[in-house]
Order: sequence, then structure tokens, then C-alpha cells
Amino acid sequence: MPDVHVAVVGAGPAGIAAALAAAEAGARVTLVDEHPIDSSMMGLDIPYLFGQRMTPTVRDEGLMLQRIIDANSGIGLAQEAGVNVLPGVYVWGSFREQENSRHVAKPVLGLGNDRETWMLEYDRLVLATGARDLSLSFPGRDLMGVVGAKGMRALIEKYQAFSGARVAVLGSGEPALNTATLALEHGLEIAAIVEVGPEIRSPGSQVEDLQRRDVPIYTNHRVLEARGQREVETLVISSGSQTIDLACDTVCLAIGLVPSTELPYLTGCDLGFDACVGGYVPVVDSNMQTSIEGVFAAGDLCGIIHEPLAESQGSRAGRGAAGTLDSSARQLVTPSEKAAQSEVEYWESWRCSMAGGHARNVTVCLCEEVSRADLQAVSPPRYLQWPSRRMGDRTLSTLFSEAPVNLDRLKRLTRAGMGYCQGRRCREEVALIAAEASGIDPSEVPLATFRSPVRPLPLRSMWDSEETEEIRAGWPKWFKHSAIRLDSLDRAAE
Amino acid sequence: MKLDTAEVAIIGGGVSGLSSAYFLANAGINVVVLEKGLIGGEASARNGGSMSPRADEPFAIPMATRARETWRTLDQELGYPTEFIHEGRLQVAMREEEVDLISAMAMNAPKFGVEARSVDSAEARSIVPELTDKVLGGMYFPNAGHSNPQRAVQAYAWACQDRGGRIYPDTAVTGIEVAGGRVQGVQTSRGTISADVVVSAAGPQSGLIGDLVGLHIPVAPGRVEIIATVPLEPRFTTYISGNGLYGRQTLRGNLVFGGGPHEWIDVTLQDYPPKPNTPLVRNISRRLAELFPVLEDTRVLRSWAGIVEQTPDGIPVIDKLNDPEGFVIVCVSGNGFGLSPATGLAVKELIVDGECAVDISAFRFDRFRNVPRDWRKTWSWESGAYNT
Repeated sequence: MPDVHVAVVGAGPAGIAAALAAAEAGARVTLVDEHPIDSSMMGLDIPYLFGQRMTPTVRDEGLMLQRIIDANSGIGLAQEAGVNVLPGVYVWGSFREQENSRHVAKPVLGLGNDRETWMLEYDRLVLATGARDLSLSFPGRDLMGVVGAKGMRALIEKYQAFSGARVAVLGSGEPALNTATLALEHGLEIAAIVEVGPEIRSPGSQVEDLQRRDVPIYTNHRVLEARGQREVETLVISSGSQTIDLACDTVCLAIGLVPSTELPYLTGCDLGFDACVGGYVPVVDSNMQTSIEGVFAAGDLCGIIHEPLAESQGSRAGRGAAGTLDSSARQLVTPSEKAAQSEVEYWESWRCSMAGGHARNVTVCLCEEVSRADLQAVSPPRYLQWPSRRMGDRTLSTLFSEAPVNLDRLKRLTRAGMGYCQGRRCREEVALIAAEASGIDPSEVPLATFRSPVRPLPLRSMWDSEETEEIRAGWPKWFKHSAIRLDSLDRAAE
Repeated sequence: MKLDTAEVAIIGGGVSGLSSAYFLANAGINVVVLEKGLIGGEASARNGGSMSPRADEPFAIPMATRARETWRTLDQELGYPTEFIHEGRLQVAMREEEVDLISAMAMNAPKFGVEARSVDSAEARSIVPELTDKVLGGMYFPNAGHSNPQRAVQAYAWACQDRGGRIYPDTAVTGIEVAGGRVQGVQTSRGTISADVVVSAAGPQSGLIGDLVGLHIPVAPGRVEIIATVPLEPRFTTYISGNGLYGRQTLRGNLVFGGGPHEWIDVTLQDYPPKPNTPLVRNISRRLAELFPVLEDTRVLRSWAGIVEQTPDGIPVIDKLNDPEGFVIVCVSGNGFGLSPATGLAVKELIVDGECAVDISAFRFDRFRNVPRDWRKTWSWESGAYNT
């Protein structure tokens, strides 16, 4: 078998299975995983909502690396199988030759950490980038202690660095219940599980177990606000006219998970909207191969799934990446846009209920301080302090009646999603707001673009230390023209 | 199917087309804009935002001067913010050969009527203290500024609509109707538009629009790249050129800087070209950190690219033709954003008054009469060629 280099991104169940399968099939494998995330990136809520709920230990890089490796037996297995494992390395870009980028010779990934960046060439690629937390706006979301289920789980399990003690969990699906159970196992208190719908989303023994442990469960309750000075002290929920103050230091958003599609997007893979899993996912065939030959996707990235399925998807992707597949007969399966059990509808029920759904001064984009009202009015950002009578005639609805719904356009006008978290805390809500204002189904809202670097690394680490003398010497600021050549044409004509 | 009837139909919803549409609508002309995708979907809304005279382009001075005067009150005129800041441009040299070049330009500037002065390293660093001490010197243009391209393009569009202009996004041009040597209208993917005057403001697609009326408009579309950092506290308001980059700190605080190798590409009249994606962000990041060492910890948020058209000599075309009569070419060759108010006024005057109030003789179309059809090939400006 010829030497094939398979790059696998993500060391979760799917990524580990892919790396092991590819190595077993004889490929040279590099497995890249961004954990341990450096503490400054955690502070920016990247990639999960950490909500400033990490202990200062996360600054100890060596200790965190050890904990990450200890918490994931797959990393050791992969190393034993000869896989080159790169923990603590971000993948911030993915570049391939395409119609508009002819000079990218070989497909490469942009890798890096807080100190430096470099490029990794590959023959085949398996993307197992997982999912991130869904974040929806409510008053007090900017307080310290508002975390996501992913962020909280990572801090508890991987980093052993969770600083909260008493947690209110929003949502009652499997991720919410798993997170509550995990928290109890680690000696934390659960103030309550809050569900906006009339029923527990994922009923069964786990709920009974939580109830036996006296965890209050409130169905048919909505979130009014989180209160506190700098940190969360109280979560206020209500049902009808009844209001409950829940004393807690952490509010855990466990409403939904969003597939992390940055890298498949940058790689150029076709993405389709799948209402069952909450948004856009790469379109794959039965071998988990995406629309691009040699690029595979597996695990939560392809829809939120159970671990055994993630492993089986990963194995298929890994085998496929290592071997030679007959791609002539392959059939890409387009995801179903409408589904009986729609995640997106569930998100929408939460969004519409938060703070009554109609409180207009609630901040949607925390980085750029864009409120629901700002979005509805397509307001110029506050730093402009632009008093305009004419702007009053412009709304989100008029904007999208003039031209098709386009989230990038909305982003540029309002700045929602343009901040340091790179839109991770508001993308989905902005899309839902745009769908509502234009009267279309969320599945019809085109995905907003992703741009590299999809991890915001500092200039000093983005710095290209591999820059060739040729690029250095030949670097133009702008185009080079030649009026002389034009003159010579005229002289020749004369 | 008939889509609309207008006096002037403008092809292209970029900054030049929308500025022209605004000034025409403001003069009471019945105008429509046809855009294949979204307004400002390409380079018009994603460029460096510079408005500056250039000491090496004397022919553009009358237009640049007029543009500056118009920019100053443009927000009030349009009724929407463009984030225009009039705080000059600083061009710095970091290599000896650049110092010589800049000195030569400074000598020439008064001859061309460009206000500019040489600055030494210390003065450059007093204007922008974050600059590296490796700056050897530079040149300061007081009559320059910058604004936010995304906001400016939308401001033109809304102001045009406020005055009765119609903008048709998602409307691709498929033909131009000519009868008896005169343009009659435009055929589009959504129906026909009757018009007495047709303005081609199609940027990188100008060559393809020219083909529809049998004209050879020589343009080469190229891709250029730019990056943005997280917002910082306000540090400098001057536009900066140097170390192979150009850019600004936005009002919000982000550093937005571009520059570097470009790739020639092909475009169509229907679709956007595929999103470019190259690792050039690393090279630009390095140059930005070299330029502002104290800001090296600043995080990079995103990078993007725009497709810019280039004429063979890099000089714009703004011209109203007699054959076919009623056909106006606006093709600004990468100078479009800063010049846009002057471009719009020029187009309005060419159509309404018959001639432009400032000298645009350098922008005549017939200077390309001897450019052969295969010029891109012989100049190595063909699709796929890189940095030539």
C-alpha cells in the first residue's frame, strides 16, 4: 500500500476510532486535538461556553495536558497504535486548491497554539470536530457563571477545574440530564432542572434517579433572568403568574448542541440543514465521505449522536480514509430539512420564552453589545451614536423584503457576530431572529460564512515563520501595472 | 417579461454603481440598479476603506480632490452613516529603497497639487506611536481619510431608494438591447428593463458586459486579501501604508489591514466566484506585527478577500460612448471605494449635463483601442497566475 497520510481533527470518540482504524489499515496518521485549551481562549468562551467558571489551575499548562491525556484513554491507545497525537493544538484553517485558489499546491490544515502556527499537509482528512453549546439570550447572561453543558462537562471531566458549586440546568434532554448526573457525581448541587416544555424531553430512569436525589424539576417554566453582582446569584424562572428564585452560582445552558462546522465549511464540503440535529452538517455518503473526495466527517459534527454510533462512524471514516474507496458509485445523503422531532423547533420554543421573548433590550451579541431591538431595527452600532430619522424606516423585515435573507449582510450592518467569540454565542439566535422577521423556515436561512482563522490566535503566533525569501522579496502591496506596455502597443499600432 | 422601465439602468450594485445611482436619483432621474447577487457583495464592501490622493497618480487628482470634499459631508447628504474619518494617511518606509521612492514622491507632490510632506522616523512615530522603531521615514498626506466600506455601500443604496431609485438584487444581466446604434435596455434573469442609458459598473465583470455590446473592455479580475483583529482601545485614526500593507483602525477599534500577492481569476455574469481560502493570513499577520510590535498580542478574528478588476494601466475608465450611444463605462480598477462620490457625480454629469465638471480625460476608454484580445495571456494575467 502506498504511504497515505491521514489527518484526523478531534480526539473524541469518533476521532479516536477514525485514527485507530486508519492506523490499523496501514496509514500514517496525525491526530490533532485542541484540548487542553489555553486559559485565555477559555476566557473567550472558545470553543465552548466556559462562563468564567474555571479555577485558576487551568493556567498550569503542564498539569492540564496531563489531565487531558489521563481523562481520554483513547489518546494512549492511539499513541500505542503509532498515531502521531498532537494535543493542545488548534486547527484554525483548512486550505485546498479550488477554482479561486489555484496556487494552494497540496491540501493543508493550519495548525497552531498560543505561541506559533504551522501548516500540516495531508492526503486524506477526517473531521471529527464535535459540537459546541447553543447559547440564547436572557437578561444576566453576561454574568460570570453562565456556562454551556459542553463547557461545564469539559471543566469537570477533562480539566478537573470547575469552580461552580450549585447549578441550575436549562433543558431536559439527554445532554442536560447527563450533565446534571455528572455534576451530582462530582459532589456539586443541582438547584433545579428547568424545562420550558410541558414534559421532560428525555424521560426514563435517569430522571427518576435525579428525582430520588431530590433534584427539583420544573417543566412548563421559562427563564426570566439571572441576577447577581458580577456572578450569578439567582436564576429567576416563572410559570404563569408564579415566579421562583433559584439560588445558584451557575446557570448551565443545556438546551442544544450545535455541530462545529467551521472546518468542513472552510475545506469546502457541502453542508445541508438537518432540523433533527440542530442546523447545518456536512453531507456524507455511507462511508462518511463528504462531497470532497478524501475528506470524511464523523461523530457529533454529523449530528448529535450516541457514543457507539460515533465510534462506528469514526471507524468507517478512518478505514475509508486509509484505503482506496470506489467513489464512482457513491451517493451523498441529503439531510432531512423537516423532521418530526425537530431540535430547531425546541430551540425556538426556548428562544421565544426567554425573558418573555419580547423584552427588547436583551443583548444577543455579547461581544458587540447588540440587543434584540438593535437587530430588529438593523441599528448602526452604538459606538456611532448615529441619530437618523431615516433609519427609523428600516427594519429587519424591510431589509429582507429588499433582498434574500443573508446573515453576513445583517452581521455587517449591526455587527452581531463580529466580536472576539467569532459569533459562537449568537449565530443560531441571530439566524432564528432573521427567520422569524422574514417569515421563512429556519432551514431556509443560508449559513453565515466562517473565515479563517476559526480560532482567534494572536498576531505573534499567526506570524509566518516559514515565509520564504521569494514571498518576502516579491511581496506586493497592490497590483503592479505597466503603462509602458500600453504605450508600446500604441506605438506598434502606429 | 418586463421588469421595469427607467431612464438609466445601472449594471452592478457595487460602490461605483450605487454612488452613480444615488447621484442620478438625487437629480430626479428615474434609475434602476441591477445586481447579480447582493449589493456590495464583493470588493466594494470589503476593501481597506481608504480615501487618499496618491502622489504618483497626478491624473486622478481632480477626482480625488472632489471625492474628499464630497466624503466630508456624505453622511449628512445620504442620511446614513459611513464612518468617514478625515485624519490623513501616513505612508512609512522600512527599507532604504522605499525611503528613496518616498522622497521622490514628496518632491513631485506639489507639482501635481497633492498636499503631502516628508516625515522622519520620529515624526511618523509621533503620529502613530505604535509604529515600529524600524520605520525609517515616510510621507504624510493630510487630505486623506477612511470609512467603513460595508456601511458606505449600504448608505448609498438606501439613500438611492429613498429618492425613488430601485435596486434589484439577485438579478443577472443576460443581454443589452441595442437598436439603431443606441442602447434600448437590458435583459436580465428576471425580465427586461427599458432604458435610454445603460451604465456598466460591473467591476470584475466589465469585460463580460462589454462582450454583450461587442466592446472589448480589457479588465483582469484579481483576488486580494485582508485581515481583521479584535477591537482595541482607540489608538490611531490615520490611515497607514507600510511594510507591504495598507489599512486602518476602525471606529470600533479593530485593525483591518490587507496587502500581498494576488491571484488572477475568472468570473461570470451569474454567480459569485467560490470563496477564496489561502494561508496568506499568516504572512499578513507577520507584517502587521512587524509594523506594530507593541500590538503583537492582538488576536486575529478573520480574514477575507475581494475580487478587484484591473485595467491594463491600473487607471479607471469613466466614459460615455457614442457607439453604442447611451452606453456608459465605469470601471475603476481598484480605485473605486475612495473615489466613489466623485465617480457617482461624474456619471450623473456625463448623463445629465453631457460632460463632467472635473477633468476625467485620463479615464477615456479609447486609450485601450490597441489592446489585443489576448492581452491577459501575453501579460501573464490569466486565471490561475499568481502575483505577476
